[in-house]
Amino acid sequence: MHNELVTLLNSKANGCDATTAEVECGDQPIFVEAAHINAALKALKESTYEFNVLQLITGCDFEDRIEISYILASFTKNHEVIIKTKLAKPSSDAILDIDSVCDLWLAAGFLERETYDMFGVRFNGNPDLRRILCPDDWEGWPLRKDYVVQEKYKHMLVNPQNKINTDDLYFFDRQKKEAAEPKLWSGSWKKPEFPAEVEAKGEK
Amino acid sequence: MSHDESLDTTPMQSENLKSELLTLNMGPQHPATHGVLRVEIKTDSEIIAEATPHLGYLHRCMEKHCEHLDYRGIIPFVDRMDYLAAMSMEWGYCLTIEKMLGTEVPRRAQYIRTMVAELQRVASHLMFYGTYAIDLGAFSPFLYAFQERETILRIFEELSGARLLYNYIWLGGVWNDMTDDHLRRIAAFCDRMDGELEKYHTLVGMNKIFRDRTANVGVLTAEDCYSYGATGPILRASGVDWDLRKTRPYGIYQELDFESIVGTGEMGTLGDCWDRYYVRMKEMNESLKIIRQCLEGIEEGPIQGKVSKIVKVPAGEIYMRTECPRGELGYHLISDGGKIPYRLKVKSSCFTHTAMLSHMAPGQMIADFVASIGSIDIVLGEVDR
Repeated sequence: MHNELVTLLNSKANGCDATTAEVECGDQPIFVEAAHINAALKALKESTYEFNVLQLITGCDFEDRIEISYILASFTKNHEVIIKTKLAKPSSDAILDIDSVCDLWLAAGFLERETYDMFGVRFNGNPDLRRILCPDDWEGWPLRKDYVVQEKYKHMLVNPQNKINTDDLYFFDRQKKEAAEPKLWSGSWKKPEFPAEVEAKGEK
Repeated sequence: MSHDESLDTTPMQSENLKSELLTLNMGPQHPATHGVLRVEIKTDSEIIAEATPHLGYLHRCMEKHCEHLDYRGIIPFVDRMDYLAAMSMEWGYCLTIEKMLGTEVPRRAQYIRTMVAELQRVASHLMFYGTYAIDLGAFSPFLYAFQERETILRIFEELSGARLLYNYIWLGGVWNDMTDDHLRRIAAFCDRMDGELEKYHTLVGMNKIFRDRTANVGVLTAEDCYSYGATGPILRASGVDWDLRKTRPYGIYQELDFESIVGTGEMGTLGDCWDRYYVRMKEMNESLKIIRQCLEGIEEGPIQGKVSKIVKVPAGEIYMRTECPRGELGYHLISDGGKIPYRLKVKSSCFTHTAMLSHMAPGQMIADFVASIGSIDIVLGEVDR
C-alpha cells in the first residue's frame, strides 16, 4: 500500500516529495516535506483510501532535527499509515514552525497543543495554541533530550535537595557512563552538589 | 399623592435587564469530574455558552520516565495511566514490544490474558455504572456495582498480589499461573453476573428520571466522532460498528465468538448519553460471553514465552493499538536498538475524548453537562499521563 500512497501524494500534493523505504521490522513510515504537510494530509483524507481519523500527532527529538509523526487511520477501509516530517533544528533551544492541520480534523487541536507543550514546535493556524499539560508559564520543552528542569517556578524550589531520590540520580549517572551514547540519557534533573558522605554512599 | 401613583407600574421587560456571561470553574476538586479535571465554563443563566477543559493536574511525566527505563521496567508505569483498567494498559504495551521482538506467546498465557482483560473491562464498566448513577443523583447503584467489582479485585489480588496496579502481564506471557480454584471462581462470577446485570439495568436504565436525564442529551454524531478521533464505546454508541477486537484482532480474539455492540438510539437520538450507557451495559454481557469461551478452551501448558534476559528491541518504529474499556489505546514506539526506548508515545483515548467536552457543552444546562462528562467516562490518569 505504501508505494501507491507515495505515488498519490506526489501527484496530488505538489512538492511534498514523499519517500518511503522498506523496513526490517515494525511499521513503515512515509516521509514528506514539512512545508506541504497540510496539503499532503488533505490529499490522503480525500483520497479513495479514506483516512478519516487522525489518531496521533507527536514528535521525537534527535540531535539535529525534530521528527513529527502523524498517524492516520481509516475506520471505513480499515488501514493505518504513519506520515513523518523532519524539522531541522538550527540551535538546541530554537522554536520550530509547521502548518496546523486543525482545518482537516478537530482532533488536531489538542494533539498539536501537546506537541507544542512537549517539543516547542509551533503549529501555525491552530486557533488555541497554549501549553496543555504543563503550566502556561513553564520554561523549556520537556521531551527534548537536552532538557533540564528549571530550578525555580514562581517562588517555589522545583527540586529541593531533601526531596531528591539520590539513588535515581546515581543510577542515571552510572547509566550515562556505561551507555555508548551518553546523550540518550537525558536525566532531566540537574545534579546538585551533595555533602561528601552522601556522595560516598552513592558511589558504591 | 394617591396610592397608585407611588408605585412604578412599568412591567419589567427582559430586554431592559442587563445580563452578562458568568465564568464558573468546575473543578479541579469537583466530585462530578471524576478526578482532577477543571472545566472553565461561561454560563448565560443555566445555559452553558462555552466550556474549556484545562488539563495537567495529574501530569506525571510518564513518557519522559519511559525514556530512562528498560523495557520490563516500563510495565508498572503504564499501569498507572488508566488505573481502573491496568490490565488492558499492560496488555497493549506487551503486545507492542512482542510484535517488535517477534515473540511467540504460549496458548495458555493468551487465554489468561484475554480473561483478565475482559474481567477488567467488566470491572471498569461497573465503575462507570456506579459513578454515573451518582452523577445523576442515585447513590445505591454504586454500592451494587462495587459489590461485584470486589469479586473481580479479589481474584486479581490472588493472581498478582495487588488490587489496582497489577504488573501481572509480562513480556512473553503472564507472571503467575491460574489455578483450578481461580477458574472455578471466575465461572461462578460469570453465572451470578448474568442475573445481576439484568437487575442493574432495570434499576437504573429503565428508571424514568434516569432516562429523562440522559436521552437526547450530549448527542455526538458519527461525523463528530471521526473528526475528534473518538473511539471505543463512544464511537459505537454513535452507530459506528468499529471494535478493534473484531476489525483488527489481536491475541486470540479471532477465535472467539462475540458481537460488537452498536448504539441504536432507542430512547432518543442516536449517540446520546443513554446510548453510551447502554452500549457499556451490553458490552459487559459480551465480555462474560468471551470469558466463558476462554474457560472452556483454556489449555494446559507454559505461561511464559522465550524472552531474553536483557530485552533489546531492534531499531525501527511501530504503532500498535488495542481496545481498552475506554477506547483505543495506542503505543507508538521508536527504538534505536538499545536497552531503553528512544521514544514511547501513548495515544490515550481519554485525552481525545476530553476535547469533545467543548463541543458538547454549548447550549446545554449545567446539570446536563455533568451527565455528558460522566457519559464519556474519562480517567484523568490516562488524560494527563
